[in-house]
Amino acid sequence: MHLFGIETEYGITREDLDAVDPVEESMELVRAHLSENFERRWDYRGEDPHEDARGFRVSGLQQDKEEDDFAKLDAHRPYSFHDMKSDLVLPNGARFYNDHTHPEYSTPECRTLKDLLAHDRAGERIVQRAADRRNQQLGGAHVQLYKNNTDFHGHSYGCHDNYLVSRSLPFPRLVSGLLPFLVSRQLLAGAGKVGMEAQESGHVPGAFQLSQRADFMEAELGVDTMHNRPILNTRDEPHADRTKYRRLHLILGDANMCEYATALKVGTTRLVLDLLQCGAAPTVELEQPVVAIKQLSRDPELKTTMRLKDGRAWSGLAIQEEYWNAASRVCGGSDPDADWVLREWQETLRLLKEDRAQLVGKLDWVTKQWLLETFMREERLTWEDPWLASLDLEYHNVNSERGLYLGLEAEGKTWRMTTERDIAEALAAGPADTRGGLRGLCVRRFSAEISGMQWERVQFSGGLRSRTLEMGDLFEPDAVRACAVLLESASSPADALAAWTKRKES
Amino acid sequence: MRYMLMPDRREAPGDPMPKSPSPSEEGGGPRRPDTGSPDKDNLLKRMRKVDPKQAERYRQRTGE
Repeated sequence: MHLFGIETEYGITREDLDAVDPVEESMELVRAHLSENFERRWDYRGEDPHEDARGFRVSGLQQDKEEDDFAKLDAHRPYSFHDMKSDLVLPNGARFYNDHTHPEYSTPECRTLKDLLAHDRAGERIVQRAADRRNQQLGGAHVQLYKNNTDFHGHSYGCHDNYLVSRSLPFPRLVSGLLPFLVSRQLLAGAGKVGMEAQESGHVPGAFQLSQRADFMEAELGVDTMHNRPILNTRDEPHADRTKYRRLHLILGDANMCEYATALKVGTTRLVLDLLQCGAAPTVELEQPVVAIKQLSRDPELKTTMRLKDGRAWSGLAIQEEYWNAASRVCGGSDPDADWVLREWQETLRLLKEDRAQLVGKLDWVTKQWLLETFMREERLTWEDPWLASLDLEYHNVNSERGLYLGLEAEGKTWRMTTERDIAEALAAGPADTRGGLRGLCVRRFSAEISGMQWERVQFSGGLRSRTLEMGDLFEPDAVRACAVLLESASSPADALAAWTKRKES
Repeated sequence: MRYMLMPDRREAPGDPMPKSPSPSEEGGGPRRPDTGSPDKDNLLKRMRKVDPKQAERYRQRTGE
């Protein structure tokens, strides 16, 4: 069973103001998407980030002192919690809302990389469309949005990739098998960054590194996401039947502009999870993963080696090759996505060693480095020049008139894997074979009757009988399609749910 | 190299991702980009328009 999705927190700014209020701006941006008044629909009872997969519960999540101070001010704002979050569920099954002062777009659940890429790109279009509407209200192109992970002052925001995993896979095995892979995954999926930084200590201009987020990884494991961030997040919030499933919630990844990098990031992680499920993951153990992830990020020449617990010293490429070898033995031929990932993963590792220029337009860090070095030669700049951090930021602008990546894409210098038609379809509806598609279908067909929604259920109003579409264990594609047929043909949610119950009981 | 099927796979294969592109490939799917100097196009112009102090002014609150 494969199911994955991406949550992206966007950076937001107003260029006409000296001081920007990110809470106000994120709220206004999300609401600019609406053509009608905001209605409270997201049901937060399904969210509990305090359960730890290691078998305990924490009383609270950490944040730094600066955020503590902001939170005190937020408490005095004239808005309710619901108003501030401004949660929307879109007709394509995605969630669009204000999360921790950032507009966040969460794709609907996807089963294939092709669907995931289309929905990730649809997210870019939706947030930019909201910015265009907001800018119309403001009378100028003042609001700009960035699909990146840092403000170059020590503040990071996330792009989380999520995977449905069987709970039969013991969590310690998940940890030991994933950590070395995740530390080295930045070779494929790093978005690149100018300089170094750390939470609360600002930015040091200088040399280019592979990853935006590596500087902010401070622990191997942990339930926190805003402070003391872990390489492997232990939040046990499955958004599914918890007796059967986990949700692997990875917070270490960068937001990718390159479609190819997104496909490799999620595709290789999916294969490693397959390896773990059948007990075939390589036995590689890093001595100091938190040191290693920074060390690797800060070496674009890819020469650095990391110590393993058994005394050997391996490069990031060697670790990735070890995982590829294992995956190629076990996962080849299992489905088209697996075959595509195996082929492109191997080729990418070869090109990283032999001919990196071939990866321009495929991997973000390689593309950004190429772009910046070309500019440095033209303008006779050094890595310390502040202009480079500004160009780094602008690489991620999702305004097609300004963004550097989107400029490259418009000139045909990137590897497109979606078509405009794929994106248009992803804007209109969720995947036909996942519950994300059902969620979107409910919004399109029965919007007025929905009283509450969350990832695993849709609650309809009216009547004494239960009016809930339960989706905590609705993952089989055939079952999803059957449920969709009933929702499409029923004249009311009650009729659809009655028919669905009858079908399940038969 | 030995290939074997994953035991828990039950889904029908979907559309494959585009194959690794070749320079002659046209139409849908990925295309090999021209990775020559961006001198030849408008990209350097776009880069020169970026305010050197933009990142200095850009401030966000910590997210997740």
